[in-house]
Amino acid sequence: MNGEVLVFLILASLAVIGGLLMLNLKKVVHMLLSLVLTFLSIAGLFIMLSAEFVAVVQVLIYSGAVTIMMIFGIMLTRHQDEQRVQKNRVRTWVVLIGILVFFYTMYEAITRFVSVEQASELHIENTKQIGMALYAKYVIPFELTSVLLLVALIGAIVLAKREEEEEVKQE
Amino acid sequence: MSWIDQLLQSPPGWSNFLTFMALGSMMLTITLGFVTYAILAERKIMGAMQLRHGPNQVGGRFGLLQTVADILKLLLKEDIRPAHADRALFIIAPILTYVPAFLVIAVLPFTEAFHFADIGIGLLYYIAISGLSTIGIVTAGWASNNKYALMGGMRAAAQMISYEIPLVMSVVGIILFTGSLNLIDIVNAQESLAFIFLQPIAFLIFFIAGTAELNRTPFDLPEAESELVAGYHVEYSGFRFAFFMLSEYVYLFAISALITILFLGGWHDPIPYLELDGPGLGAIWFSLKFIGVVFLFIWVRVSFPRLRADQLMEFGWKVLLPVALANIFVSAVIKEFFF
Repeated sequence: MNGEVLVFLILASLAVIGGLLMLNLKKVVHMLLSLVLTFLSIAGLFIMLSAEFVAVVQVLIYSGAVTIMMIFGIMLTRHQDEQRVQKNRVRTWVVLIGILVFFYTMYEAITRFVSVEQASELHIENTKQIGMALYAKYVIPFELTSVLLLVALIGAIVLAKREEEEEVKQE
Repeated sequence: MSWIDQLLQSPPGWSNFLTFMALGSMMLTITLGFVTYAILAERKIMGAMQLRHGPNQVGGRFGLLQTVADILKLLLKEDIRPAHADRALFIIAPILTYVPAFLVIAVLPFTEAFHFADIGIGLLYYIAISGLSTIGIVTAGWASNNKYALMGGMRAAAQMISYEIPLVMSVVGIILFTGSLNLIDIVNAQESLAFIFLQPIAFLIFFIAGTAELNRTPFDLPEAESELVAGYHVEYSGFRFAFFMLSEYVYLFAISALITILFLGGWHDPIPYLELDGPGLGAIWFSLKFIGVVFLFIWVRVSFPRLRADQLMEFGWKVLLPVALANIFVSAVIKEFFF
């Protein structure tokens, strides 16, 4: 067994364990930390694929920013909340069948996947290549995404502002 | 290809594992030595600035063994855990805080020969990994099950969000001028002119935001002892408390080294055209600049009073961020017309 397989097995199982823990733990903060474990393992998998830029952005955005936002969400609401498990036999079976169908489709898709050519140049100056592709080849989708994000940002400000005005009126 | 690259690309095996362990523990020893004497230096400088002596009893006239004695005391203390604390998280939190602090050192190039991982996105790696420590701090605050600790942890999270954005924005100018995120390329680009002269505003923003990321006065709200007793580590004692202190000072080491690399030209000689870049001199230049930055951090800590929480937020979002954005724009214009 070479090192690559070993590292892949460790990272993949950590990602799966993180996901399982997130579903099975009872306290919200514990769930959040297991989610961080999953995010970090996925970043490790990206590094194994030589996608260093994507890996670091994964850590920066998901493990850093998204987690902190969720922590804020939890702390500003009921942070001692514990989840109570309701048992529903029908739902359990439906979910089980869903998982099996999903597994079968993914398994078939991966085994039938034939790679046309191995991309062997992608790891050289990875960040630069992403930049070139974004700003030269895919510039219109990129601009559209940025406009969408800008709209979301302004929308959030407008919504927050309106609430503030209503509060002033009520007073 | 340097020998560390060969080592990093060699097949896995026990001998390589032991080599990496040895290298890692070597770096750990260096940082621990730095932390020991940075704490002493801080207390001595604070003493001098406040017209008192500072530690002068343990280890000769200069108190050279004072920190060692303090650490020994912390290690001998009883390990107290609150009865209603979240047991697992209480134990994990100091580790979660310390591990990222040590991880970021892997990408810092100290001299031309002495550096570990030479990765293309070194600068981004530093920023991403150092953000993870906040999770440890918030976890510590939550797991302690203490109001003050929780407030300290929340303040740390709020402060980190507000100050990480100007921190990242301020270095965009340097990335524009260098055309690379690799820290070694950034140092090489400063061979004739250090970036502090090209990007003085970026340096100021980076220094202020860096102080905030380090949770040091005037931005030490997460551990403001007069408001929160001690902040997020109020329930910690002994060895676990030492871990929080340690990660704070390792971050001081890391961010001072990063400022030296980004703005002061790393291992290049400070006066251009002097041609003093001989072998071995790089380490001396780096250390001198590095010590200067550490002194600046200590000086700021002694000089300024603590900010109020709302002023801190307003300063981050309404002053630092717009100035950083304007700096990016001006840098792009300068780069386009003069370089």
